[in-house]
Amino acid sequence: MTPLLRTNGISVKFGGLVAVNAVDIAIPEGVIHGVIGPNGAGKTTFFNAITGLAGLSTGSIDFAGDNITRQPPFQRARLGMRRTFQSVQLIPQFTVLENVLIGLHDHIRANPLRSLLSFSGRDPAEEEAQQRVVETLRFLGIESTLFKRPVELSFAQQRFVEIARALVARPKLLMLDEPAAGLSPSEVQGLNALLRRLRAESDLTVILVEHVLSLVFDVSDRITVFDNGRVIAEGAPADVEADPKVKAAYLGDGHA
Amino acid sequence: MDALTLVVAGLANGSLYALVALGLVLIYKTQDVVNFAHGEILMVGAFIGYTIFQILGWSYPLALIAAVLLCGVLGALIERIAFRRLAHEHHITLAMVTVGLSFTLKGAARLPFGGDIYTFPPLFRDTPPIVVGTAVISPQSLVTISVAVALTLLLWFFFRSTTMGKQMRATQQNLRGAQLVGINTGRIFSGTWALACAAGGAAGVLAAPVSLLYPDMGTNFLLKGFAAAVLGGFESIPGAIVGALIIGVIEMLFGGYISTAFQQVSAFCIIIVVLFVRPHGLFGHRPTHRV
Amino acid sequence: MRAATVHKWFAPVLLLVLLVTPLLTDRYIQYVLNLVIIYVIIGIGLNLLLGYAGQFAFAHAALMGIGAYTAALLVYRLHVSFWIALPAAGIVATIIGSLGALPALRMKRVYLALVTLAFAELIQWVMIHWKWLTYGTDGVKLKAPEFFGFSMHGDHRTFYLLLLIAVLLYVFAKRIVESRIGRALVAIRENEIVAQCNGISVARTKGLVFALSAFYAGIGGALFAVTLGFIVPESFGMFQLVIHFSIVVIGGLISMYGSVLGALLLTTLPELLRGFQSLQEIIFGVLLMVFILVMPAGLAGLGKRKGWLPQEILSRNWRALRDRQAAAARDAASRENR
Repeated sequence: MTPLLRTNGISVKFGGLVAVNAVDIAIPEGVIHGVIGPNGAGKTTFFNAITGLAGLSTGSIDFAGDNITRQPPFQRARLGMRRTFQSVQLIPQFTVLENVLIGLHDHIRANPLRSLLSFSGRDPAEEEAQQRVVETLRFLGIESTLFKRPVELSFAQQRFVEIARALVARPKLLMLDEPAAGLSPSEVQGLNALLRRLRAESDLTVILVEHVLSLVFDVSDRITVFDNGRVIAEGAPADVEADPKVKAAYLGDGHA
Repeated sequence: MDALTLVVAGLANGSLYALVALGLVLIYKTQDVVNFAHGEILMVGAFIGYTIFQILGWSYPLALIAAVLLCGVLGALIERIAFRRLAHEHHITLAMVTVGLSFTLKGAARLPFGGDIYTFPPLFRDTPPIVVGTAVISPQSLVTISVAVALTLLLWFFFRSTTMGKQMRATQQNLRGAQLVGINTGRIFSGTWALACAAGGAAGVLAAPVSLLYPDMGTNFLLKGFAAAVLGGFESIPGAIVGALIIGVIEMLFGGYISTAFQQVSAFCIIIVVLFVRPHGLFGHRPTHRV
Repeated sequence: MRAATVHKWFAPVLLLVLLVTPLLTDRYIQYVLNLVIIYVIIGIGLNLLLGYAGQFAFAHAALMGIGAYTAALLVYRLHVSFWIALPAAGIVATIIGSLGALPALRMKRVYLALVTLAFAELIQWVMIHWKWLTYGTDGVKLKAPEFFGFSMHGDHRTFYLLLLIAVLLYVFAKRIVESRIGRALVAIRENEIVAQCNGISVARTKGLVFALSAFYAGIGGALFAVTLGFIVPESFGMFQLVIHFSIVVIGGLISMYGSVLGALLLTTLPELLRGFQSLQEIIFGVLLMVFILVMPAGLAGLGKRKGWLPQEILSRNWRALRDRQAAAARDAASRENR
């Protein structure tokens, strides 16, 4: 079966620095794929390369069977790729409703002239989008935040709003960049449960960059380990955990 | 008109633009703000020079020094009052403040000087132009170029060798880092504005003998200085200076060989062309994304 | 009175009051009121570009001038009916204004300001020096338009034309900002990267907002020409731009109410300070700076914070959603209590 996402020997260079070095990864549909490694190992750059924010020096990327190497970020997003960021990127003057509606930008049926000229105040496409937002927030347990602004929310809620924005578009691929950072243990549990639910109830593929190892090792189907821009190990969590190279580079002996 | 003559005249104009561009880049590099009021600072300098030289009857060098000092103080005051509080605001906010400042200065200049267009009397009425080879060089041009070069060298020396200069460079490269090592960044910001506006004021006094003086005169110089800074990628002072000289010379050549009407728009055209071919300017670097 | 009732009836009542105003005002006040309406249109146009989309462009006064001159010259030289000249002015301004999107896409944001500033200066120069086209500083006269033989001469009659167009353009803009387009504009303003990662084509959206903003400027310019009856190049230079910027900044960026409040305040202010251009400039400049330092969200922002003005959430009919959610929450709570 064709993997949903495949990178073929991709490298990303910034001047003299090689941030991502000849990385080959294939990720099938419906799995949760963890990515771990020390800081500066290239994990976020890897995300940026996949979403199109960082250009490739070599290699190519296939998504759902098509070569997307030349496609700009917004095109890739429209193909079904959504992500969150290391530091939460919500629009501060927007309510949660508006923030999450951004995720539906290319899904709202564009019939601008009709809705603009219609006499009543209503727009069915927009109302449908609003409903989708409500459902997604309900799924994440934060429905009550609908008309609040980010400043009124707890940090965990803000993170979940960003996830909602990514999920509301029902993407094929969801990329989470350190979603557990700054969350309390019970909030991390909530995140864990959420990821499991997503896997059970949909075909969604998740790539999870994380430092909170309890989460990654518990929920991932497979894990890739980065170090200095290269992949140094890949496999099932148990295997990766036991791998001496990984221990040396990142885990140390006896991690939590 | 002989090419060499035009080139030298162009270098003189270019030196003025360079002083303006220098000020723009200085402030931009330190605080990420484009000072849209910079043309008005030049205008203020010009009118200070006019007041001292024409109205009070004192000497031209004194006018230059006065303009430099007063504009420097003005710059420091502006930073202290308006910009200190805004250090972390959206770039649009900061830009709008400088726009408001520009209008305020124009309006303020119109009160004493609004009714008329003033001319600065020529400084070298009796001195004949200097002939070097085929070039005919006006003494005023020489003065402009020399003063501009002197000021630029002074600044260069300041940045290289004095403590405050080095602190300024450090702050430009890494604000947080500078704060962490105990540099008084507030003072650096004031100092930067003071230097930038002093350069602008100098440009004003140097421009006065060859330009008409009126409250709206700043916009033209702002555009040229802005254009020069853009050629330099808005990130290097040497780049801006080179860009300014290029603009000054090309302007003169276009004016001499094509038409004087075209002179005005030639700077604009250069910019459009350069930016479409190399959006980061002649000397700038391609921007990298940081997410 | 409940907020919801006030909200529902406010617009119709306001409209009714406005419709009978000409019966109550003298010529001068009517003239000022007409200017206010024109500046509401101008303000909306600039707010879309500078406020919502955060694009720092200086061309709005020049585009207003292009609209004014297009309409005036078509009527004066080619004897075209004003009813054709008006949309033509909008279209010409739109085409030229859309070009502004190109630097906005290719270059660092700081360069957009330079290019549009230079463009504005260039247009001024053209207006003054291309006498064969624009009559230069002599200006162009524009006689009152005719409506099926009924001359619209006089400020009281022009008022209805202006009001009609302004209401249409206001509603149009409101629908746009309360849609995915409006949200995309603010997304681009705040964080282009996040916008892209959510499927927003920054190029298309910027092109759209530059075009839209220019259209409003062009229409506003044409209406300005017909209201004044006479236009000169000086009217569309930097001082005009001061007024535009002041309207949206003091009124409130990213706000439809802001454009209205700003237009109201900043059109009446110069009339109170007639003949003192330098004083006007200083006051505008200082007001601009003070507002940015002290009240960056403008008067509209203040009004919304204090509850005097309703919130402006960029999703059409959001109140119905909020009411449904509130009702559902009440039902759930009462079911739990049983």
